[in-house]
Amino acid sequence: MTTSKKIVLLGHFGVGKSSLIRRFVENTFSEDYKVTIGVHISKKTIDTPDKKTISLIIWDLEGHDDVEKNRASYLMGTHGFIYVFDASRPVTFENLEDQLLILKTKYPNIPVKVVANKTDLVKKTEINQYNDIFKPLVDFYTSAKTGSKVDLLFSKLANELI
Amino acid sequence: MLETYIKKYHKNNFQYILVDAAGKVIETDNHIIPIGNLTQIQEVHPFFEAFSDLFFIKNESYDFLCINLDFDKTSIIADITLQTHNDNKNLIIIEDLTKHYNNYQLAAQNRNESLINAQILKLKNLHLKEKEQFKNIFIANFSHQLRNPITALNIFSNLLKDTTLDDTQESYVNVINTANKNLKQSVEGILDISKIEAGKLILVEKVFSLKALLNEIINEHKLHITKKNIEFNFILDPKLPEFLNGDSFRLKQIIGNLLSNATYFTLKGFINLNISLNHIRANKANLHIKVSDTGIGIDPKDYEQIFKRFTKIESTIKNDMSTGLGLSITQYLISQMDGNIKVQSEIGIGSVFTCNISFKLATSYDKNLKEVLLHKVRKRLDKKHNILLVEDSELIQLSILKIIAADGNFFLNIISNGDDFISTIMDQDVDLILLSSTIQNYTAEELTKSLRKLSKEYKKIPVISISSKAFKEDIKSLKKAGINDVITKPFDEETLLNTIHQYLK
Repeated sequence: MTTSKKIVLLGHFGVGKSSLIRRFVENTFSEDYKVTIGVHISKKTIDTPDKKTISLIIWDLEGHDDVEKNRASYLMGTHGFIYVFDASRPVTFENLEDQLLILKTKYPNIPVKVVANKTDLVKKTEINQYNDIFKPLVDFYTSAKTGSKVDLLFSKLANELI
Repeated sequence: MLETYIKKYHKNNFQYILVDAAGKVIETDNHIIPIGNLTQIQEVHPFFEAFSDLFFIKNESYDFLCINLDFDKTSIIADITLQTHNDNKNLIIIEDLTKHYNNYQLAAQNRNESLINAQILKLKNLHLKEKEQFKNIFIANFSHQLRNPITALNIFSNLLKDTTLDDTQESYVNVINTANKNLKQSVEGILDISKIEAGKLILVEKVFSLKALLNEIINEHKLHITKKNIEFNFILDPKLPEFLNGDSFRLKQIIGNLLSNATYFTLKGFINLNISLNHIRANKANLHIKVSDTGIGIDPKDYEQIFKRFTKIESTIKNDMSTGLGLSITQYLISQMDGNIKVQSEIGIGSVFTCNISFKLATSYDKNLKEVLLHKVRKRLDKKHNILLVEDSELIQLSILKIIAADGNFFLNIISNGDDFISTIMDQDVDLILLSSTIQNYTAEELTKSLRKLSKEYKKIPVISISSKAFKEDIKSLKKAGINDVITKPFDEETLLNTIHQYLK
């Protein structure tokens, strides 16, 4: 039997939440930026290493600089969060610690994966420069453009949800 | 009547769907999304999977706003309400608001794009500034490292020139001298640019004799110009004021640069230097400087280009060993003096550079300074004075030793270790101290402060710092620590002896 799990992507606008989902679900990428309003919902079924099938219902939320600005109805019944920021724009991770604290306080039992996206745009030295701010908090360094670590992110989270 | 209009214009953008507790569709009006009866609502769109758990909660209402529903052939943006009931019949109401939300999307798109672009621009600027800063620090450090060898080269080639040499040897020394002079100019040019970029090139105000300065410039350049078989004419307006108050070093640099360029690019013909007084207003003299040549000339389309740093126009690149900084620095200096510079030129005919610069007139208040300037010639001192040199660079030690020995007015004692500084001073008679700005483990500031803390007699000993740091704040910091004067490397014999003589009369 297939289990359904709701995954919600959060983060500032323009960090690449929709692009990560498009890369994961359709394996495509577009340089064009289209602002998400409200929510888009996609679905992808994957097999876990222990041969279980899991159906991921992925909610792509409109970007906000504060997770508390999201409509509460969107977050209802969430099984896992992915908090995305843009590694090339400090404004998108400057409040990262606070944002994660809010999520941990409001949803203490729901796993959160923290993603530094757009790593194709930044050099390793630049990432190192910001390490003090986000290194201990980041779980995955992804690039929706190159596809780097995108599948790994979703499959790791899915495994934790079973 | 109204009924008719309502029938005509009313748009039904609602769809009502009745589902059971498992999500099976019992009834639907299919106004927006075509759904067959008995279909599982969760299969219509993954959004409805969120309802699976809610169907079991009785008599509740849930609103989901701005839901993007994408289907194979169509997409809508809707507000969706779920109303659960006691009888296991759940009502889903879909209100299609695509048009409304699309307008909102457009506004959000514009706002977000401009915010992101502004952030990216700000970051790019920041990165550029950081790069620029790194470059300036690198240049400052690099030129700093060159100062000791240039100073030594300069002093020893001059000393060598004064020994008995045959013609071939003398010509070799001349080559070394010229090469070193060019090297010194290049290093100073690069350092000036880094100062300009860091906003640290500050003009000084000091009374100077304009006539003496112009004679100095003319004498220096006459030799180079006439050596190339080029005619050199200069006309100095008799109305030029004798004394001005301003940065004479930089004025010399401006005129010198224009003359050097003219010499460089003129192969035959003449170079004219014309300096006249435009006017005197509000106690300020406005000078008109004109340098004309019969050189290779500049294409008018390159006029702007030649004032940019590191720029060399195509026609001048061949055989040009300069850094291309001179005119950029000249233009900056003139602008700092509230002046202007213009060029008029014709390829193959020649160029005319004109600039107007204002200087304060020296006032009677500055009279004593005038006297100092008028009596610049060094006098023979009544007795031999003791100079203590604290310097750890052997090159500089040897250079200073040679200069001091040749002057014949002084005894020189050298220490290369800061630890011995105070004990040496207490043990020996010292009339003046030459102190390197950086010797191992100590700064010149620290050593001077500890000297000034000793008894009264030590407070009066003149301390001259030989500094390889040339920024204004470096000099300010040295003077604040009690250092009387600062000589920056690379220095020459004249500067060193003039400064020493100024403090030992």
